[in-house]
Amino acid sequence: MGSAAIRRSADAVPEKTATRPGNAAGLIPGILLLAVVGYAGKFIEHFIASYGKAHHLVLPNIEYVLWAILIGLAISNTVGVSGIFRAGVATYEFWLKAGIVLLGARFLLGDVRRLGGLSLVLIAIEVVLALTFMTYLGRAFKLKPKLISLLAVGSSICGVSAIIAAQGAIDADEEDSSYAIAAILLLGAISLFLFPVVGHMLHLSDRAYGLWAGLAVDNTAEATAAGALYSDAAGKVAVLAKTCRNATIGFIVLGYAIYWASKGQAAEVENKGAFLWRKFPKFILGFLLISLLATVGFFTKPQLTAVGNLSRWAFLLTFAGVGLRTNLRELSKQGARPFIVGAVGEIVIALITLGLVFGADHWYHL
Amino acid sequence: MFKRVSLDTWAVLLALAAALLVRFGVLKTIPW
Repeated sequence: MGSAAIRRSADAVPEKTATRPGNAAGLIPGILLLAVVGYAGKFIEHFIASYGKAHHLVLPNIEYVLWAILIGLAISNTVGVSGIFRAGVATYEFWLKAGIVLLGARFLLGDVRRLGGLSLVLIAIEVVLALTFMTYLGRAFKLKPKLISLLAVGSSICGVSAIIAAQGAIDADEEDSSYAIAAILLLGAISLFLFPVVGHMLHLSDRAYGLWAGLAVDNTAEATAAGALYSDAAGKVAVLAKTCRNATIGFIVLGYAIYWASKGQAAEVENKGAFLWRKFPKFILGFLLISLLATVGFFTKPQLTAVGNLSRWAFLLTFAGVGLRTNLRELSKQGARPFIVGAVGEIVIALITLGLVFGADHWYHL
Repeated sequence: MFKRVSLDTWAVLLALAAALLVRFGVLKTIPW
């Protein structure tokens, strides 16, 4: 599988496949596989808890999130995901977005404003530092300029979606974007497991950890999973912070598009407003709408619980997809230098954002 | 028409429809 296959696995559902009703039947096997893997994770969590209770044993409480990801990883890295399942498995990003919209029911607008405002300030600092650092690091490693731009966008904002958005805008090579995507996906898979461990070692509060995961983990799916692995409350905050980060995607990509156009190496952006709207992740508007409805009392309390649970089911499919779409062997084939630049960048960004979160916790008492 | 609707928009529409089904009592309880 070369770069094209990595793009296929990373690029969620191709628009045509996702939106054509005629193809809907082709999605069913993969969606069922997501459901089976996700539910198996939930079953194992429940089984271990019940077994420990029945036998008076103290067993570690490992969340379904980790089980679902591990089962998915085991399948994709051993027997592989057969062609019949691939289109449906790729819908994991669709479920992620639907889950984020529904998660809006668990936030009052006041929380969104307070935490979201703080997140945006931290994101602005993080993005400037991360873009600058990644640019210098990429130059030091003599990477191609457009690959540096893609890695910088991917690691500072929004992982795969940002790289795909930027690829078209700056006319980057397919090969460069698949290098950048492979590096970001592999690093996302690693940070998914490392972040909760570091969070526990540092005794971070749910809010501080969630904010850190949302600011530092690249892909939205991985950031959501890294938050949920820590605690339910941390997962909520991680999604909010990551959603704020996603909201900046259009502005950063526009900046790069204008930069490369000024060098004559990309097409001019004619209508900047339309460009920003096209790149703006629309699910953020859905999240805010549901949060607004929850705030004005449109839902009763049991209904809010029900909507929150729907969001959990959507995330269950997402976490299964994170494992199923990650083929570590294929990702590691993509060359060492982009990965090293990405890895060094990720470590520095994780430290910068950790410092920012400690600062915010000190001044604003998260 | 379907081709013009982005994946993001479909996700928002599905989520809003599900939330409305809960609000108007079609989906009464969602277990977890």
